[in-house]
Amino acid sequence: MKFMKTVALVTVMAVAGAGLAGCSEKTEKETETANWTGKIVIWDGPRWEDPSKNKYHWLEAQAKAFESSHQGVTVEIVQVPWAELNDKLGVSIAGKAWPDIAPIDISGNGVNPTFIKQKVVEPLDDYFTADDKKDFYENALEAYTQDGKMYGVPAAMTVHSMLLNLDVFKERNVEPPKDGQWTWEEFVDSMKKLTYDKDGDGTTDVYGMSTYIKNGYYEAWPFLYMDGGRPLSEDGTKFTFDSKEATDAMKKLADLKAVEKVAPKEMGSGDVGGTWKAFSAQKSVAVEPWATWAISAAAKANMNNVMVASYPTGKSGKPVTIGGVGGWMMFAQEDKGKKKVLADFMKQLSNTDNQVLSAKNYGTFPSRKSAMDQKPFEGNIPMQQAQKLTEQAVMVPKHANWKKIDEAIQKELQLVLNGEKAPDAAMADAKKTVDGLLK
Amino acid sequence: MKTSPTTAHETGKPSAKLRSRQKSLLREMWKQRAAYLFLLPKMILFIAFIVLPVIWAFVISFQEFGIFESEWVGIDNYVATFQNEAFMIALWNTLKYTLVTVPVSILLALTLATLIHPLGRISQSFFRGAFYLPTVTSMVIIAMVWRWVYNYRFGLFNYFLSFFNIPAQDWLNQSDTALWALIIMSILIPPGVGIIMYLAAMGSIPESLYEAAKIDGAGSFQRWWQITVPLLKPTTLYLTMLSLIGSFQVFTQVILMTGGGPGDATETLVHLIYKTGFRDLEFGLASAQAIVLFVITLIFGLIQYRLLYRKSED
Amino acid sequence: MNLQRTSGKFITYTILIIWAVISLLPLYWVFSTALQLSEYKDDTTGQVISYVEAEPPKLYPMGIPKYFEEWGKARDAASSGNAAAEAHHRERMDMIVTDTFSGFAALFNGTSIWKWFFNSAYIAVVVTVGILLLDTMAGYVLAKKQFPGRDFIFWLIIATMMIPGQITLVPLFKMVQTLGLMDTHWALILPDLSMVFGVFLMRQYMLSIPSDLLEAAKIDGASEWKTFWTVVVPLAKPALATLGIFTFMNVWNSFLWPIIVLNNADLYTLPVGLKTLQDQNLAIFKLLMSGAAVAAVPMIIVFIAFQRYFIRGLTVGGVKE
Repeated sequence: MKFMKTVALVTVMAVAGAGLAGCSEKTEKETETANWTGKIVIWDGPRWEDPSKNKYHWLEAQAKAFESSHQGVTVEIVQVPWAELNDKLGVSIAGKAWPDIAPIDISGNGVNPTFIKQKVVEPLDDYFTADDKKDFYENALEAYTQDGKMYGVPAAMTVHSMLLNLDVFKERNVEPPKDGQWTWEEFVDSMKKLTYDKDGDGTTDVYGMSTYIKNGYYEAWPFLYMDGGRPLSEDGTKFTFDSKEATDAMKKLADLKAVEKVAPKEMGSGDVGGTWKAFSAQKSVAVEPWATWAISAAAKANMNNVMVASYPTGKSGKPVTIGGVGGWMMFAQEDKGKKKVLADFMKQLSNTDNQVLSAKNYGTFPSRKSAMDQKPFEGNIPMQQAQKLTEQAVMVPKHANWKKIDEAIQKELQLVLNGEKAPDAAMADAKKTVDGLLK
Repeated sequence: MKTSPTTAHETGKPSAKLRSRQKSLLREMWKQRAAYLFLLPKMILFIAFIVLPVIWAFVISFQEFGIFESEWVGIDNYVATFQNEAFMIALWNTLKYTLVTVPVSILLALTLATLIHPLGRISQSFFRGAFYLPTVTSMVIIAMVWRWVYNYRFGLFNYFLSFFNIPAQDWLNQSDTALWALIIMSILIPPGVGIIMYLAAMGSIPESLYEAAKIDGAGSFQRWWQITVPLLKPTTLYLTMLSLIGSFQVFTQVILMTGGGPGDATETLVHLIYKTGFRDLEFGLASAQAIVLFVITLIFGLIQYRLLYRKSED
Repeated sequence: MNLQRTSGKFITYTILIIWAVISLLPLYWVFSTALQLSEYKDDTTGQVISYVEAEPPKLYPMGIPKYFEEWGKARDAASSGNAAAEAHHRERMDMIVTDTFSGFAALFNGTSIWKWFFNSAYIAVVVTVGILLLDTMAGYVLAKKQFPGRDFIFWLIIATMMIPGQITLVPLFKMVQTLGLMDTHWALILPDLSMVFGVFLMRQYMLSIPSDLLEAAKIDGASEWKTFWTVVVPLAKPALATLGIFTFMNVWNSFLWPIIVLNNADLYTLPVGLKTLQDQNLAIFKLLMSGAAVAAVPMIIVFIAFQRYFIRGLTVGGVKE
């Protein structure tokens, strides 16, 4: 029967295909010697582009240099879209097929505590002496330290700051804050002046300020820190965002929209792109807080008159902001020799020269003092202004359940900014969830 | 083969002795070996890449997933699932979403197909194209467009409503409207597959049936209701089942348009499962949640199957 | 009476056309944004304007009116003998054209888009052909044959569709790993070939094919395979067209699974490749939409190719009762 033959053929082909591919599986050798040779796999997303539009050229050049300085070692670069990095990592970890090195997101979340708990990230203390560590800023190292161990190499830093569109300031005759410092009252006053009906149709077209609320993002949070409120107690055992300092600050932020009417209705939604567009394209918002990537992005969007300022100062009397640290992590390894080689490569990627390059091209701050000494921001006034803010930066709390705690808080913050819930009621609800997670 | 194979369920003759029954079963199977061979290639792939992964998910739902070793925890994950308030909220949102979008979109597909069917050849292929071609755009793009449609300030939706003096709303960013915004969106995206399937099925209904009904004096709506609709049953069953499964698994719109917010307003089951699995790496709990979703979908699937096939098939 | 019929027709067309416009909007928007002016330098103010994602949105590529504006100015300048002004406006015309197509230019000059395109195309074709064959065979027997286990298989297929794909990613990954298919195109093709919605679709469609036809073929002494190939397949054409387009589209658009199992950039499919160009915080919309437009073209072609099979399957060949 003809059809039987065909069916059989298809089946055989399917099985043979699977079998053949199975044979090509590589067997990896293990070596105990210091001079480990073999292939290392590193993941990365697109960074700044070279003249031929290649967004991976920097890492490619680094890999080449490393291969020539380490005979017998080859570096395989896997290009991973940033947006899918976490999903690919999740599946690969669950399937025990992780890369050797992967980037750590700069947004402020640090190394995923779940990875540490599951022991898939290697501590790096054996490869970084106290002398090595000395060159790094303390808060950068601190961000990657858990239980006294170092779980990643900080390679770049960011800080959240207020971006001011000075064109609108000029148009409304508003004096920008001196040295980028303003008290809450001065800030509100400026926002009121900046909010206006541009085309005279009776509705407001330009607003003073806006921001968004989304899990894992902290642009709005320094406002909540303003009066001294913090999400967790110093030792990470108690939920403290329900304190009066925190809820008062939340109310002030929400009132910008509800009472003062200097923020658009969209403030507090999770729409990151829309918020950025309102500032950079539509120019319907004069001031927005962003991480430092936005400074170079604003320049790319032809905004030539941008100033960087601190978050307004509240009752605590000092401006405060939130920072983030980006870097590299090493995944669980069996071979000691390989670990050493990987650590060498991570050192190279985060060395002074590379940090300067990243600072100049990618809008990040160095995590090494020696890189900062090379003045990478000469001629770049907004980045210099933002750099000053790094001294005020605190990091997001580190806790094994932070992502869930974060979600519980952000969810309620959205409702507060929407005017659907009062701050104390919202934080009381958040507390119920968070208390369970702190145990 | 007997006359109408789709109605008869067992052709094997009942026999008193188990052995002879087994024998007749084997004989029956051997007689139908061609059918098994037709199924075989698909089944090999189906088992390897779908059934086995599903079994893994089922097994893992009784474990606390660890990368190096997993621990058996009995039904703890299921208990945790039902004790989790977030799960209940997500379940409720998903149910609301499904119970509105499924019937409405099926009805819409049927109506639109009915309107298109009598048109001339050119109009017919034009509308078929207009409704089916957009399915080539991925949900990612559609979500982007709809985000703009719902924009508070510049969106088409508020613009359209302003003609009826309805005040502008920030549809995706208010607890009381966000889920409805997603529902309306999935209703307004034309059910391209449904329309095509209905059109194909309508084309296979013999003209003679309608002529006979005409002679009996049935009006056009009566003919539609009494001839077209019942004969489209297999298609309706297919579309409802597919749409039901799709709605219960609504995800892309959620993650791209609202991220589950504001608050919990648009948190859906698969979005929750996704977070549990990929953010927290708690695959055991995520699997338990997925199995619960499966059971719920199955119950609804069986209910609609029974509703559609209340009377005997065909 | 006649008036009633005309007005009924008018209403029908109005509804259908409005709906069709809503339906086609996203696709139109992709092409319109891909061709939108992104860096237009205003001649008088010297300001650089982007019309991409402008609010309120521009409903068509602004290069078109701007081009004609410059063309008119160049013509006026030419007629008044101002050669310098004419050259200036001609230059601006070129600038507008360059900017309009800059998204496509960046894709085709700066990336391996042809490689991604080829990978996507051959995978989509292999899977579509495979699915059409396998699912029609399976759907046919599930609808038209009586055999032990039939209902069980049918319900098993439906049941597995009720498990969200997100949860089977990990076991599927392990399966692909065990078979040694990681970082090969087999890791995409085989799981795609195992998708079952097509079996369900074909089964439901086959139910509406009168069994008498198959009986007739059997009486003629045709083998099972011949009956399937010469009677069943031609009758199933409308459903095959639906399934073909649907499968092609699914495979063509999928990105998460390919991102997870592929590491070698040479093996990337079009959506994966396009995504590896996206910056961490900013979507460059024009580039994004140019990519989406490039991706949409083959699917439109596939749609048109399959379109002719949508003609009523059962009215062919004297099947009409």
